[in-house]
Amino acid sequence: MTVFIRVLTGTLVLFMVGCASAPPWPETAGGGASQPPIQLDVPFFPQERYQCGPAALASMLASQAVSVTPDELVPQVYLPKREGSLKVELVAAARQYGLLVYPLESDLADILTEIDAGHPVLVMQNLGFDWFPQWHFAVVIGYDPASEELILHTDTRRGNRQPVSVFYRTWHRAGQWAAVILPPGDFPATAQPLPYLEAAQDLEVTGQRAAAFASYEAAAERWPDQPAARLGMGNIAFAQQEWVQAVRYYAATVENFPGLAPGWNNLAHALARAGCAPQSVDSLACANQLGPKSYPSDLPIFEKSSEPPSTGFACPVIQCPVAD
Amino acid sequence: MQSIRGYLRQISFLMVLAVGFATTLSTTAAAGVVGTGDVLTEQRADVDRQSLQAMLERQDVKEALSSMGVDEAEVEARIQSLTPSELADFNDQLAAAPVGEGVVGIIVLFLLVFIVTDLLCATNIFSFINCIR
Repeated sequence: MTVFIRVLTGTLVLFMVGCASAPPWPETAGGGASQPPIQLDVPFFPQERYQCGPAALASMLASQAVSVTPDELVPQVYLPKREGSLKVELVAAARQYGLLVYPLESDLADILTEIDAGHPVLVMQNLGFDWFPQWHFAVVIGYDPASEELILHTDTRRGNRQPVSVFYRTWHRAGQWAAVILPPGDFPATAQPLPYLEAAQDLEVTGQRAAAFASYEAAAERWPDQPAARLGMGNIAFAQQEWVQAVRYYAATVENFPGLAPGWNNLAHALARAGCAPQSVDSLACANQLGPKSYPSDLPIFEKSSEPPSTGFACPVIQCPVAD
Repeated sequence: MQSIRGYLRQISFLMVLAVGFATTLSTTAAAGVVGTGDVLTEQRADVDRQSLQAMLERQDVKEALSSMGVDEAEVEARIQSLTPSELADFNDQLAAAPVGEGVVGIIVLFLLVFIVTDLLCATNIFSFINCIR
């Protein structure tokens, strides 16, 4: 009989979980089994029925000193008739609090690395099967390498320990989505330039200009080889109609990246608004020479401005890398 | 009595086995259908903010959104906080058929299965069951 049970159990395991066997415990990030468990001090909000999204998000926001309750988040992220929240709305709501949402790589080691850096991690799980999904949001707040467990604030349980096997399977079934939520200017431990800049750009296009600017500014310092960071600073200044500031940021962009046609193009627009018409024409000509197909050789009439030069501002000299 | 109990035990294991096979089969079938969406995703153009806002004006979409139980004023605010690429995703998910309503009847049938799979660390449906490693 015992043998029969063993065979039966083995068969069930093979059929039901064979497609997503848990990987070995990451050695690089989590350290060896000798390491003591790590558990971050993250505020906990037990979820109401079906409202794991608001509860998990409130926990993530509270860890960044944003004081908000799950009840206050419900109107922003909950779909009453779907009895749940969409991942994309949790991300959007976090941005509306001026925070940067950085999606992690689909790697268990990255979650542990972020925990090591003191960043709680928002995760999506499918607690059921692909054909019977039970979607769930939870917050990873720690891990224990000795027992190979992750520690989560989940549903109504504070600091619940989940074996890596069950965590990985439920996480894998939800597409291995994980994200950290940080104040702009702070970096995730696993930050890569392009995903970080995209996250900053998401802030910019959803009206969080101050947060986006702070993120671009930090990124420009950390990754001087990324043109988008400086260009983004200029674009925010331009959107705020701070023409002189925009000229300065764009000029710094093309100084560092002389071959960047969009930089010259944007500089031309900012110069026109700042009252530097001749320099604007030169700058646009430069953009046109670098990227003839993308940039016009002439600004629209309304931008060939009659605006007077801004007081106390000397129009910069345009030095195009392409010889005439 | 002893023999009946032993008989029942064997029957119940057979049932677990049968349900196990049934779930495996349905997993395979579902996997074949779901994949189509992934192909379509690459071909679909992003829904931009303006066109979704324009759609909002239409009464039928308003009704669809309010039928989700969300206040219309909140819906507009929620749309404003999304990036254009997120909007494409969002609209799809909003339009997706609600889950859970048709499956209530079979939950009882799967109760046993999920208890077993919870114990085996495959699922985590019931918070009162801790899995055995």
